[in-house]
Amino acid sequence: MTKLYADAGTTWTKILEIYEEEKDIQKSSLLQINNLNNYFVPENGNKYYSREEKLFTGRTFIMPTKIFSFADIKLDGATGHMTGQKLKPEGIYQNEVVSLAYGAQKRVKNLENSTIIDIGSRDVKWVKFENNQYKDLDWNGSCGSATGATIEMLCGFYGVNPENLAPEREKIPVTCGVFAMEKIMDNIASGIPPEIAVARYIHGIAYNAWIFSKKPEKVYLSGGLCRNKCFIESLKLYCEAIPLGRFMLIEGLY
Amino acid sequence: MKSENKKLIGIWGYPEPDILEKIKNKYPENKIIDLDINYNNPSSGILPDAYCRITKNMIDNSFAMKENLEVIIASVGREKCDSGWFAAKILKDEGFNVIETRYEDYNGKICATPVCKSNLALKEKINLIMDNIIQKQNIKLVETKPEFGFWGVPPNDFNFLDIFPETTHVYGWTRCVEAGRPADIDLEMYVDENIPTVFFAQTFCAKMQLAKYLAKKHNGIYVDVDDVASNSVKAKIEAFIKLR
Repeated sequence: MTKLYADAGTTWTKILEIYEEEKDIQKSSLLQINNLNNYFVPENGNKYYSREEKLFTGRTFIMPTKIFSFADIKLDGATGHMTGQKLKPEGIYQNEVVSLAYGAQKRVKNLENSTIIDIGSRDVKWVKFENNQYKDLDWNGSCGSATGATIEMLCGFYGVNPENLAPEREKIPVTCGVFAMEKIMDNIASGIPPEIAVARYIHGIAYNAWIFSKKPEKVYLSGGLCRNKCFIESLKLYCEAIPLGRFMLIEGLY
Repeated sequence: MKSENKKLIGIWGYPEPDILEKIKNKYPENKIIDLDINYNNPSSGILPDAYCRITKNMIDNSFAMKENLEVIIASVGREKCDSGWFAAKILKDEGFNVIETRYEDYNGKICATPVCKSNLALKEKINLIMDNIIQKQNIKLVETKPEFGFWGVPPNDFNFLDIFPETTHVYGWTRCVEAGRPADIDLEMYVDENIPTVFFAQTFCAKMQLAKYLAKKHNGIYVDVDDVASNSVKAKIEAFIKLR
């Protein structure tokens, strides 16, 4: 028997499957998903520890939420607003902010005076710790909409590879997503290459996340933007920034 | 609510008790209805879309119940807000029978606040405090040791109050109501220092200013809700309660 944990966001779903023996995964309910191996992401290696420091073997996947949604999967633990009816009767749902806090406490042993920020497809949430204890939190679930998914859409629209973007000193304000879009178009209309306009926009998101989380000196970053060098370098203009990867919320589930 | 044919006395805020009593005696058969509450009546279109939900309730309810509303006792002083005052003027202008009251002077009187400290569910605490304005209820209450605090006014959306444990004490304007001092700003700003408190205000309400300031000052959490609480607001409150 394997155990399944998922963080189902608007666009992407992160899944952790833990098991005791290799033969267990031969019966995994994930096998019904076509081309499952295409979604395999060995981000954390295959060793996982529970909050009680019990060791598990596991594997992780990141797949589009629309694929996850159609799969007949029953979860032992879940977070995120797209988990639907997928919890086992004895399964545990935990909200995203709590999952983020628990994940951070587990992954970062010394959370003295630091803030963990998770930037999702359409939101920003953060938890601040002082002396390893919870201190403050917030979740911008609607006006933080100009985040990960918007970057993906922009890169797709302008044919820009996000991995090739260099950070820009100048930023496009993203407090209002609609005005930000207008600024990007103005930039490009005035002859600025899309790579630079999008990088300015990403800088704006980094600045916005930093301001929203009350200007922390040290940030642990969670979410898909951990893989976006342009974002991390932009954030480093304001604070120390340490990426933790995309599985922080799942880490807080078990 | 509209389908009921019983004649009504509408109120909002905290009407001056002597005037309320006088009107109750004048219309003994009438039912008293709190116009602050959201009864899902249609929008009257009088107020801007981006405006305090409670004030919209007051106006929308009044228009929806116009046929049955014999009189509105409108709180227009500091115990309510300028929006209450403006709403009273608008409704008078629209032909309603509106009696304006101000309840700002208490002659040093302060009542105990057993409901705020009781073991009732938060929703029931707030409902009981507000019902007591209309008719004092005699309910045996058990005091609890506070583990959490809720600071604010009765919200438009009561459902998110279910997140709070029964050991939540009530502060802010709602406690001022139970204390019989709804315009006492010093009492409104008082909270127990060591109790983790959620500071709530209706979006677009002037009390957002106080709620945010006090949340920072007392290491609490600030939330504002417009119509109904979003999932992120509920998750923030849940996380605050769980992580503390």
